Amino acid sequence: MRKLSRYLNLYRVFVIQYVKTTMQSKADFFIGLSGFLISQAAGLAFLYLVFEQIPSMQEWNLEQMLFIYGFAQLPRGIDHLLTDNLWMVGWQMVINGTFDKYILRPMNIFFQIVCEKVQFDALGEILVGLILVGRSVAKGTVQVTPVRLLFFIISVSAGTVIYTSVKLILASIAFWLKDSSAIMTTAYEVADFAKYPIEIYAKPIQAVLMTILPFAFVAYIPSTFFLSNANIWKTIGAECAVAAVIWIIAYKLFQKGISMYESAGN
Amino acid sequence: MKKYFRIYWPFAVNQIKSNFVYKGRFYLFILRKFLGMFIYYYLWMAIYASAPSGQLGGFSRNEMILYVFMSYTISDMVMVGISSEIGHDVTDGSVAMSLTKPISYRARLVFQSLGIMIYRAVVPTLFIWIGLEIYKVCKLGMPVTSPVTITATLVSILLSFFIYIYFDYCFGMLAFITTYIFGMNIIKNAALNFLTGKLIPISFFPAVLQRIFSFLPFTAIIYVPVMIYLGKYSGVQVLEQLGKQALWVVMLSLLGSFLWKRIEKRIVILGG
Repeated sequence: MRKLSRYLNLYRVFVIQYVKTTMQSKADFFIGLSGFLISQAAGLAFLYLVFEQIPSMQEWNLEQMLFIYGFAQLPRGIDHLLTDNLWMVGWQMVINGTFDKYILRPMNIFFQIVCEKVQFDALGEILVGLILVGRSVAKGTVQVTPVRLLFFIISVSAGTVIYTSVKLILASIAFWLKDSSAIMTTAYEVADFAKYPIEIYAKPIQAVLMTILPFAFVAYIPSTFFLSNANIWKTIGAECAVAAVIWIIAYKLFQKGISMYESAGN
Repeated sequence: MKKYFRIYWPFAVNQIKSNFVYKGRFYLFILRKFLGMFIYYYLWMAIYASAPSGQLGGFSRNEMILYVFMSYTISDMVMVGISSEIGHDVTDGSVAMSLTKPISYRARLVFQSLGIMIYRAVVPTLFIWIGLEIYKVCKLGMPVTSPVTITATLVSILLSFFIYIYFDYCFGMLAFITTYIFGMNIIKNAALNFLTGKLIPISFFPAVLQRIFSFLPFTAIIYVPVMIYLGKYSGVQVLEQLGKQALWVVMLSLLGSFLWKRIEKRIVILGG
């Protein structure tokens, strides 16, 4: 318990420090935020333009598509907000040897990496996600009860864990390859598949999305619980199980990677 | 002209060579682009499967397949950005070095990108196009593309490259105002995905927006060459579109020179 409060305290200190540095240029913050907002707007406009032409896509109408789309943004955005610094591990830290500093400090290494940066650009994604989900509630596309709200929060949290774990695995590859940024961006591209119902894809792609890069569990599969009352164990239950398993794999790999790490000499 | 090429061509060759060195990274890059293409391929297939008629926005299902693959390959080939490099040069001050050298900063950047464009044209794009053509004839049962259309498309693509690069040069001048060119680029890419017709054909937009778009250079970057390839324009229209593209190249290049002159006057670089 004391350990937890120590870490929470440290997190606060780190975040305040980071906010101070970003405050130096407020313009950057707004540029980053609007960048992600505009990307989201483009994705939404695509759906609107397409649904001008067709009544529904397979069994999904526009409202349901928007819910899935918005729901998918939430775990993605939260992960982006909190753990964006993992990119730096795959991209620069291992190859430049700046990873050294984490090993020297008496703190959990994963914690140190994550708390060093809060990516406020991600608020654009979270905002769009919240608006779309809120809209679906207002329009009656999904019903709200306290229990369902609880499941929603659990599902978003588990989805965030899946995102973070995938990112951690890919960043950890840098301990072997020195630079894994190209692999990371590729995997992120795969995450875009999750914004739409996965039934539209070919079987091999579906298989990848359910196993190696389990982005299907982040939004689409749990959203069927909220939209069409699918079995909870097969949706949110499965999502939580996947999240737990992939987190354990990711963290083990990360620890193994650190033990392999040799600093860049100078 | 010949001298000009002799001076700047090595920059292009250099880029081609260094691209060949980092092959692993490049294959991943291709894989990434493929993923994007396939998301939209499947999405469109599902959309057409639910369409009340076989035509959407003036495109048949088969034409849309070609549209998706062509727009993606063309955008990868021609949209070789230089604004992030300008951003780098400005933030770390190395743009000062470029001012002291007796070569044009812009011409150097353009030729470097030309090298990358040539590399990308040969290594993945050509093979994708050949595959697409075979798919088109054998699977979709459409006629073989005529040599005239192919030539017109290639000319159009080359003009697209110059439109984009001169536009991106002007855009890169923003680096003198803000240092967060990464964020600016995200905004730009999101907007361009839309305005160029990469995400969805321009004909899907409401008529008012289509009219506004026709006054902007962006549709000329992707939508126009794809439409030429699909044979959606008549002979006269093709010439008209190519002329319009050429006009944009000239206008954006003049705008770039103008901006650079303005900035050159007020630029202050600290340290040395």
